[in-house]
Formats: sequence, structure tokens, C-alpha cells
Amino acid sequence: MAYVRVDQAVKFFPREDGSQMLVLNGVSFETKEHGITCLLGPSGCGKSTLLNVISGLERLDRGQIEFRVSGSNPKLENRNPKLGYVFQDPRLLNWKRVEGNLTFALKGMRIPRAEWERRLGKYLELVGLLEFRQQYPLYLSGGMRQRVGLARGLVIEPEVLLMDEPFSKLDQLTARKLREDALQICARLRQTALLVTHDVEEAAYMGERIVVFSARPAHIIEVVDNPLAPSDRNFDDLHFIQFKKKLLNTVLKLIDQEVRV
Amino acid sequence: MSPLDSTTPAGPTRQEDVITDPSGAGSLPRPIEIGSRRGQPAAGRQALQDIALRIASIVALLFIWWLLSLIFPPTLIPKPWETFAEVGAIIGAGDLFFEMGNTLRRVGVGFGLAMAVSIPLGIFMGTMRSLESFFEPPVVLGLTMPGLIWAVLAIMFFGLTETSAYAAVAITIMPMLTISLWQGTKSIDKDLIDMSKVFHASPWSKVVDVIMPQLISHILAAIRYGLGLAWKVVVVVEMFGFSNGVGYRVVRGFNTFSMKTVLAWTITFLVVMIVIEFGMIGWLERTVTRWRPRVEAWRR
Ligand SMILES: Nc1ncnc2c1ncn2[C@@H]1O[C@H](COP(=O)(O)OP(=O)(O)O)[C@@H](O)[C@H]1O
Ligand SMILES: [Mg+2]
Repeated sequence: MAYVRVDQAVKFFPREDGSQMLVLNGVSFETKEHGITCLLGPSGCGKSTLLNVISGLERLDRGQIEFRVSGSNPKLENRNPKLGYVFQDPRLLNWKRVEGNLTFALKGMRIPRAEWERRLGKYLELVGLLEFRQQYPLYLSGGMRQRVGLARGLVIEPEVLLMDEPFSKLDQLTARKLREDALQICARLRQTALLVTHDVEEAAYMGERIVVFSARPAHIIEVVDNPLAPSDRNFDDLHFIQFKKKLLNTVLKLIDQEVRV
Repeated sequence: MSPLDSTTPAGPTRQEDVITDPSGAGSLPRPIEIGSRRGQPAAGRQALQDIALRIASIVALLFIWWLLSLIFPPTLIPKPWETFAEVGAIIGAGDLFFEMGNTLRRVGVGFGLAMAVSIPLGIFMGTMRSLESFFEPPVVLGLTMPGLIWAVLAIMFFGLTETSAYAAVAITIMPMLTISLWQGTKSIDKDLIDMSKVFHASPWSKVVDVIMPQLISHILAAIRYGLGLAWKVVVVVEMFGFSNGVGYRVVRGFNTFSMKTVLAWTITFLVVMIVIEFGMIGWLERTVTRWRPRVEAWRR
């Protein structure tokens, strides 16, 4: 498994009138290896853009993205590592059954067919959907569809899993359950993952490391490492609540300073 | 015990989360019955009532036909049962399968040609700006061209050959097919294309797994409408001097001024068309849209 190093990333988007809008303004950070790194920032600051750049859907105007594996001297990973992607609204192929959506990804990533059955079983079981593998997505609830999206991201056994606000469209209870499950699954698989969110509590709960973005044009204003191990994070636990408050205060203070500067 | 030690995360509460079962999906949407105060009849009774009403409607049509045949001479309006006896004779003589086969083959080949051109053309027009501008005028022009004129042009060009029948059918429905594919392609979900890129789907997989399924309802609608156009054109071409096909038989009835023959062929033709339209295409549609829960907006 690899980790991601983003170095001085700069990205412009053309506006309707032809002028350039600066979205990423020299973003630099490193993710954890074998853990979730949360990208926390206000809506519209460029978090999804950064994920799209990392996944290759968009190109940077300046700066670079590196995938590395740790060692005594960090060596460069191959240029095209396997990346899984979990989208905000799950972007499933509604005309394919649950397992068909997973094999679509397996086929795309050229995973040998002999592997498919084992992987389908393993990852559908992990997200708790084994008995729904023959179902069509439109017959599932929103939370279950999101689980299919998560399973599709994991089934290719990616070096880095990218998640773009995967819980933000769900109702509160479903989202909470899914966060717990996703954290547990990623911890068990020791999965390197990047999770985009604008929710401070979600970042405090999910992130080994929390990278705080400014408003657009985005740059990094703080990197916070989570003092709690994944297994010690509990929404009702005093230590967790303290950390969450501290993170919230940090973010508020930094945003405040930003505005004044 | 830490959450890491526990076994697989429990899924959401199972049964409640499944909205419906696709295999259990079924009945057609019911019309709203405004002002209906009665309780809802049992599903079975309702279905029986529907069938009874349809039969009543057909019986009423036959009755009107019979009344008219009392007023007009049999050369103008033959008796219904005599006409149906003629239908029986046509089937008995084995003519039906021969003539209908010829006509259906012309429609089928013409249709296949049109699809082979229109599906890629429509997809390209929907995805490439320059092709859209280039092909828009001929497509729109073609749409307004009457099928009868295509039939005349095709016969002048190819003579009385099978080719002219195929060409007339193909070119008549091509503009309409192209337009539905073109518009359908424009409404494709870009997010799904991005998703397929992220998972490195091959070009073939993008077309077959991502793009075509989104076009299928447009294609089915175009096929329905196109069949309607195709029948009309093929019969016209056959009337111009072909020596077989349903159109030829109808013209032969016309030449001998046998209303019975004309009606008998028309009726068999209509029946075959309806079977294809509602039977085959309806079946195709149900098969390819099984993944979609039935819209039951009118269910109370
Ligand atoms: N393809 C694009 N073309 C032009 N502008 C874009 C495009 N994608 C995103 N933007 C703009 O870039 C900014 C950042 O968007 P995004 O990365 O989606 O924000 P976030 O995910 O942090 O909410 C927004 O103002 C958005 O309107
Ligand atoms: Mg976003």
C-alpha cells in the first residue's frame, strides 16, 4: 500500500467569461499510510477537485502528486497505482445487479477472472450485503447503495481509496452507522484512504490525520493528527468529544485568522 | 472489546431496507378514478373487468361493421363473417406466411440498416459538437420528407428490386431514429462516465455497460415509432409493382374490386403488427428494464 504526497498543487478552472478561477493555491500535504486521512474544508473550496486530480480525472496546472511507499528511504511507487473511488451519490450502474457493479470495476482494472468470486464474497460480506448480491440497486435503500459504492471501491484492492463525502447525503442515523462500519473496515484492511468531508465530527471520528483546507482558493492551514486510535473513537466517549471540540476550535480560529488576513 | 475485534459489521436492518422485490413487480399503472367512492375491487376482479371491457369494445366494433353491411351492398362493405372466412382461406392456402414473410423481411432488413447507421450517428452527434452541426440539417430535412416520396425515389433509382424496398424503409425511419439517439445521448449522465474512467473501463465496456443502457428507452421508443412508419412505406413500395408481399395482395384485391380481399389482408396485417408491437416489443422492453422498479403513480 502507498501513501500520497501532494506538492504545491495549483489548479485553475476557466470561468464562463473566459477568465481563470484559482481553485487550488499551492496545496501541499502527505497522507498517512495504512490509515484514513481526512480533507476537511468548507464547501466549494476545491476538495473534490483535488480528489479528481489525484484520480487522474483532472490535471494540475502546477505542482505534483506522488504515490510513495515508506521504507528507510521513501521510494517512489509506480506512477499508476490502483485507486478506488467512492462517490457522494454512489454512481452505480442501476441496470446491473450489485455484483455486476463490482465486476464492472474488476473488469476495468483487469483483475483476473479467477479472482472475482473470492473478492465478491469477501467485500460484499465486509459491507454486509452478501445476501443482496443479486439485487438491483434501485431496490435498495440509500444507505445500502452507498455500501455497494464502498464495496466497489474496495473490491479492486486499491493502493489508495478515495472517498468524496460518501455519507453526506444520508440521514443522520444511517450515516453514523456507515461511518462506524467504514472506519472498522478500513482499519481491518489497513487501508490507505483519503476522505473528503466538510463535517468536523466526521473528520475527528474517521481521520488518523486531518488536513484542514482554507476557503477557495484552497491552501492547507493546519494538519492535525488524531490522538485516539480508531478503536478508541466513540461518539459518546469523553476523550473523543474533547478532541472533536479542540478540532472545531482550531478550525474556527484558523478560519477567523484567514478572514482577517 | 474493541470494534476491531468484532466480526463483520452488521448490515442495516435487512427487510425494511428493501423497497420491493423485482420479481414481485408487476401490474400496470391504474388510471386515476376521480370521484370513485367504492372500495377498491380485488386485483383479480379488476383484471377480469378490464378484459371484459376490451372484449366488449371489439364486439361493438364488429356490430357496427355488421350494421353497415346491412345498409351498403356487399361489394362495398362485405359481411364480417365472410371477411373472416376469407382470412381463414388466406391462412389455409399458405399464402399468409409467404406474403407476410416477404413484407416482414423487407421491414426487418430496412430497419436493421437504419439502426446500423442511426445508432452510431446519433451517439456521435450527441457527443461531438462538429458532427452535430454538420448532420443536423439533413436529419431535420429527412424528418419532414414523406415516406411516399422516398418510395417513389427508391423505385426510380433501384427499379423494382428488393433493394428499393430495403432502401425506402431504411431512409424513411433513419432521421427519426437518429434524432432520438442524438437527443438521448445528450442526456447521458456525465458522472457515470467519470466513474467508468476512474475504474479504467475499456471503450467497449463504456459503450456497452454505461452508455447503451441509458439509451435503451430512447431506442425502444424510436423502434415503436419507426415500425409504424416502416409498415406504411413497405406497403406502398409493394403496391408499385412488386409481385409479392401484403401490399401486392391488397392492390390485387383493388384491381379486381374485391373489397373482401382488401379487408381480409388488411386485417391479417393489423393483427400481425399488433402482435409484434405489443407482444415482441413489449416483451423486449420488460426484459431490458427489469432493473427499474415499476412506476405505480396511480395506485392508491
Ligand atoms: N469542471 C469545472 N469547471 C469549472 N469550475 C469547476 C469545475 N469543477 C469545479 N469547479 C469549481 O471549483 C470550485 C471547487 O469545487 P469542488 O472541488 O467541487 O469543491 P468542494 O468539493 O470542496 O465542495 C467550485 O467553485 C466549483 O464551482
Ligand atoms: Mg465536493
